This record gives sequence, structure tokens and C-alpha cells, in this order.
Amino acid sequence: MTASTQVAKLEAEAITIEERSPFQVVMMRFRRHKLAMISLGFIIFIFLVTALAPYIAKFKFDEVNVGNYFVPWGTVGEEGRVHYMGTDNIGRDYFSRLIYAGRISLTVAMLSVLISETLGIIVGAVSGFYGGWLDSVLMRFLEFMLTIPTLPLLLIISAMLLQNEDLIPIPEPLLNFLGKFLLLGPSAARNAILIIIVLAGFGWLSSAQLMRGTVLSLREQTFVEAARSLGASDVWIIMRHMIPNAMAPIIVDASLGLAGYVVAEAALAFLGFGIQDPIPTWGNMLSATQQFMLSKPWLPLVPGLPIFICSLAFNYIGDGLRDALDPRLKL
Amino acid sequence: MTTYLIRRFFQMILVLFISAVATYALLNFAPGGPLQGLRQIQQTGRTTITEDDIARIRAYFELDLNLSVRFSRWLLGVPRGPLVIGGKEYFADLVVGCRKPIESEILDENGKYQIVVTGCKEVVYMKDLVGRRTSNGLIRADFGTSWRILRDRPVTDLIASRLPKTIQLIGIQTLLSLLIGIPLGIYSAVRQYSTFDYIFTTLAFMGSAMPTFFFGIIMILLFSILPKDAGWFYVPAGLSESVRNYTVPGLGEVIAGSFTDRVMHLILPVAVLTIVNVAGWSRFIRASMLEVMRQDYIRTARAKGLGEKVVILKHALRNALIPFVTIVVFTLPGLFSGAIITESIFAWPGMGRLYLLALGDYDYPVAMAIFFIIAVLTVIATLMRDILYTVVDPRIRLS
Repeated sequence: MTASTQVAKLEAEAITIEERSPFQVVMMRFRRHKLAMISLGFIIFIFLVTALAPYIAKFKFDEVNVGNYFVPWGTVGEEGRVHYMGTDNIGRDYFSRLIYAGRISLTVAMLSVLISETLGIIVGAVSGFYGGWLDSVLMRFLEFMLTIPTLPLLLIISAMLLQNEDLIPIPEPLLNFLGKFLLLGPSAARNAILIIIVLAGFGWLSSAQLMRGTVLSLREQTFVEAARSLGASDVWIIMRHMIPNAMAPIIVDASLGLAGYVVAEAALAFLGFGIQDPIPTWGNMLSATQQFMLSKPWLPLVPGLPIFICSLAFNYIGDGLRDALDPRLKL
Repeated sequence: MTTYLIRRFFQMILVLFISAVATYALLNFAPGGPLQGLRQIQQTGRTTITEDDIARIRAYFELDLNLSVRFSRWLLGVPRGPLVIGGKEYFADLVVGCRKPIESEILDENGKYQIVVTGCKEVVYMKDLVGRRTSNGLIRADFGTSWRILRDRPVTDLIASRLPKTIQLIGIQTLLSLLIGIPLGIYSAVRQYSTFDYIFTTLAFMGSAMPTFFFGIIMILLFSILPKDAGWFYVPAGLSESVRNYTVPGLGEVIAGSFTDRVMHLILPVAVLTIVNVAGWSRFIRASMLEVMRQDYIRTARAKGLGEKVVILKHALRNALIPFVTIVVFTLPGLFSGAIITESIFAWPGMGRLYLLALGDYDYPVAMAIFFIIAVLTVIATLMRDILYTVVDPRIRLS
């Protein structure tokens, strides 16, 4: 090979730009956001740990070790199992509870986001696409809901639902399925589902507004007109053109929403109107151990830290996704 | 503008009415409530509670009236008895409720016994309402009497004793947040990409992701528990004033209930609320300043040879504050809800804690009153924000 052919080959290589799919472009841009990458790694780690909860945690979350209250970190308990983080005020292994709590807290947040975004997408798309009286009724309703102070209303509703658990009928198979997934009994799973309903019942409002705004601007684009002139039905246009094009802000909203739901679930539990005690969540572990802070300050700190870190991580991921999906996008 | 205001006013009334109906329905439709404990006592059978006792207690909670009648009495303060026109009584024999319902246990399809009301032994007529204790109605700012927390005392008294504490907390923290947040945001925007800016933006990001309840606990640990154990200067946490005198190293003995004592107890809750607020507000000011600093008129001002101070404070800041004003106004009602969490961490005797107490204790008149007050504040703040939009930014017209 002569020198000139080598140069020509190099030039040719330089000219040909490797073709990238939109997904690759987004991934490349996302990778540049270092904090978002670290956060993503951390979240994956937490997901793995909580997914493997039965294998990592040596104790059941409600297994009471009678008499062994507040044992120090690393004490060897029954059957040679180690209390890595000691036990709480009624002798339950703190480390195991922490891991099971993560599984429940994160599942509640994920399901709430899934439900609220799906509802928001459907309502927002229909409302923005069709306009007219349907749109104005829906939007007046949204405006009304957004003027009501959220936290006090959330508290009333969850107080009501927790006192009368049978008020909302939940199908048995769903209870059993979620119960199996969360490693809980059906009645405990009902408690978790009620909280998801409460959280998602308010969360979809803002995503519906976001979706409606996006659809309103998309509706006037030429590709929609083109699709319509080709004879596409409304459902086809919404499903194939509107929703995929509106996905960028929705994905960012969902990731920031995850942070919000992790904190909101913990706040409800902290105030005593969330998922109730034998079932562990980060929030109710924090509230249950707050009173022992004077002598054993690590008890509330241990469950509080993952709430904070998860909230921070989901925020950073949302930030990174926003930069990656659309640099001009502002939420 | 006038027509807009009139329309908004009626909208406001409608929103408030719907939220009153919604809360009332939420708390009263659901089974259980204040009689739940009574039924359990009755079932154990050791104490003898006669039917008349139950009827009396039901009358005390107005549970023997129809829901619509009860709601009307709560909202409007009527009906208080038969309608009297020209000495003649109307609707005196109208049935408004049931004094002694017939309850029977019915086996439902799941094999559980459920108590179902199947009839009525003795009804309540409109004429029986005469002389019954009643409130003047929500629209005359009478929220009725408390059921549990301070039994038989007016809810208004209860709230009046708690409201100043919450307002104190919120007032001080709003003022401090403005005084700290605005300069921080400006400085960070002017020195964009400096070390200060990097540290500031990171801290502000973390601050807005930090859950208040966890932050409060860390603050108590760092400034109250640990320094006290080490024998250093510490800040007391919990309640709004101390019960007995205490000594703080470096300050001497603090007399319970004195001014110093109250200030010391304010420090931690105010600090938590302020820091969380500053994180959000200064980030907003920074973004808004950066936006303005790129505008042409800033370049013009600089080209005219104006000093940097004048450019930033007079030309940039004033325009950057436009969107900020509306943000501040809109967060104000949110502060009442936000204070619920902070008050509960620091056992601060304010409205937020009263609300939690009332919800947990079935004291529905108190819970509904507080919810309604917060709703009124929110709606007023929303209206104020929309009006302020036009005042600070004449480009926006309301119609």
C-alpha cells in the first residue's frame, strides 16, 4: 500500500460520518452529563439491591426478635444471622427493613408515575387534539383541582381511605399480584395500592397540562396535515404522530415526577397518613424512629438518606434527560 | 379589567363552594367517624349504653340529620326550625333525619356480616330542630364547635390560638428568604461560571431536592442534640417556648417563656423553612437575571457608560423581578401546607399540627375549618398572582 492510497483511505474515513439512530444521539448526549450518569448508576444499584431483597436481607421485615431492642450494628442474632444495622425499638432487623422499604417505596413511586403519566397523556392528547367543549370542561376541571391546596387534601383523602379500606374495591388478582411482587400479604398490598391511587390521582393533572400544550403546538404542524390528507384516522394520528412526538417532555416530567413521588410518599408516611407501620417504607421508618433521635441518631438518618439521595438522583437524571432529549426544552 | 375581576370573583366563590362540598362529603360520607368507638363498646356488652344514649350522642354530632340538612346547617346555619312567616309555621312536620335507625346485620356475598341501616324507628322533624345548638354557618365565619380536641369550644377560638404561631413562622421565613435569596441569585448570575456560582447552583439543586422532614431532623441533630451533648452552644428544638428554665453555654440561663426563649425556639424551624425556600427562589432569580442580562437594553445601558452597579440593580434586576413577584405570591398559600410538615417535626403549636391532630382524632369541624381557610388563602393568592401579572408586566392584558 502506497502512502497516497493510505491518505485517500484516511480521508474517506474522515468524510463518512457514522450514522446514528436518534436513540444513540440521545444516549451520547446523556453520557456527557456526568452527575446524571452517576445518578443513573446509583439508581440501578438501588434497584438491584431491592429486587434481590429476599436474598440480601437475612430477616423478614416483620420478624420480631423479642427482647433484643436497639442491638448495636453487626450483632450476631438468631441462627447466626447478622444484624448489620442493629435492630429497632421492637427488635426488628433494621437493615432488612431498609431494603424491603426501598422495594415498596420505589414500587409505589414507579407505579404512581406510570399511572399518572398514562392518564395525563390520554387526557392531555384528547383534550388538546379535539379542543371544543371537551377541552374547556377538562381544563376548567384541571384549573379547579390546581387551585385546591394539595397536601391538606391529600391528607384528608388518605385519612379517609385508611380508615375505610374497603371504600374503593380493588380486584383480588391485582392485590395478589402486587402483594407477591412487594412480598406482602393482600391486606398490606391494599394499603400500598390506596396510597398509589391517592398520589397518582393528583399527579396526572400536571402531566395532562404538559401533554395538552405539546399537542396544541403539534396539531398545527404540516406532518399532521399530511397524515390527515393521506386519510389517517384521529386515533392513528394521536397514537402514531402526537404521542411519539410529545414523548420528550413527558419522559423528563416522569423522571422528575419519580423524585416527587418518592418524597411525597415518604412525607405522607412521615405525617402518619401513608403506608402503615408493620409494612416498612423509608418514610414510616423515619417517622417511627424520630423519637429515639436523642440517644440513637442513626435510626432516623439511615432511612432518610436514601429518600434524599433518590430524590436528588432522579432530579439529576431528569436534568440530564432534558439536556439530551432537547437542548432548547425548558420545563 | 372590571368585568374580568367580577368574573374571577364569581369563579372564586364557585371554587370555594365546590371545595367546601367536596371536603364535607369526603369526611361525612365515609363510614366510621366519631361513633366507631361507641359501637365497639356496645358490642363488648359490659357497659350498658341504651338506645337513648346513642340517640343523644348522635344528636350531639348531628348524625341524626340527613346529610343535605347537616351540610346546609354547617355552611349557611339554616334550617334552625320551621319557617315562620307571619306567625305561621311552615314545614314543621318535614322529616329531616332519623333519631333511631333500625340496624340489621346482613350476610354479604363475601361471607362477612355487615351492619346495614334498614329503616327508622323514630324520625326527626323540622320542629325538633328548635333550640338545638348550631353554628351560624361557614359563610358567617362560624366553624361550629370542636368535637374532640377542645370539646364544645368554638373552632374559631382554637384556630385563633394557633394561627398567630403559624403566621409568625411564615412571616419571618418569607422575609428572610427574600433578603437572602435575591442577593444570592443576583450575585450568582453576575458571576456566572465562577466557583461561587458552581457551589451555589449545586447547593441550591440539593436544597430543592431535600425533603423537609429529613432536613429538619438533620438540623435538630447538628444544632441541638450533638452540641448539647458536647457541652457547646446549642439551639433548643421542639415547641414554641420552653416549659422550664434551662442554661445554654455562652448565653447563660434562659427563663422559660421569655423573649430570648421564644427567639431560641424560632431559630430551627425558621432556618429549615428559609433554606428550602431560598434554594428555590434564588435559583429562579438567577435564571431570570441571566435571561435579562442577555437583552439588548442591557448592552445599550453599558454602551452609554453606566456603572455596572446601576446596570445590574436598576436595569437588570427590575426586569428580572417581574416573573419573580408572581412566583413569590403563588408560593404564599403553599407555605401553609409546607408548614404542616415543619410544624410536625418541631412540635410547633401552629395550624398545621392542629390539622393533623384533627384528622387523626375525627375532629371533623376543626379539620374542615382549617382546610377551608387554606383553600380561601390559596384562591385569593391565585387571583392576586393573575392581577399582579398585569401590574408588573403591562404587555399582558386580562380579558
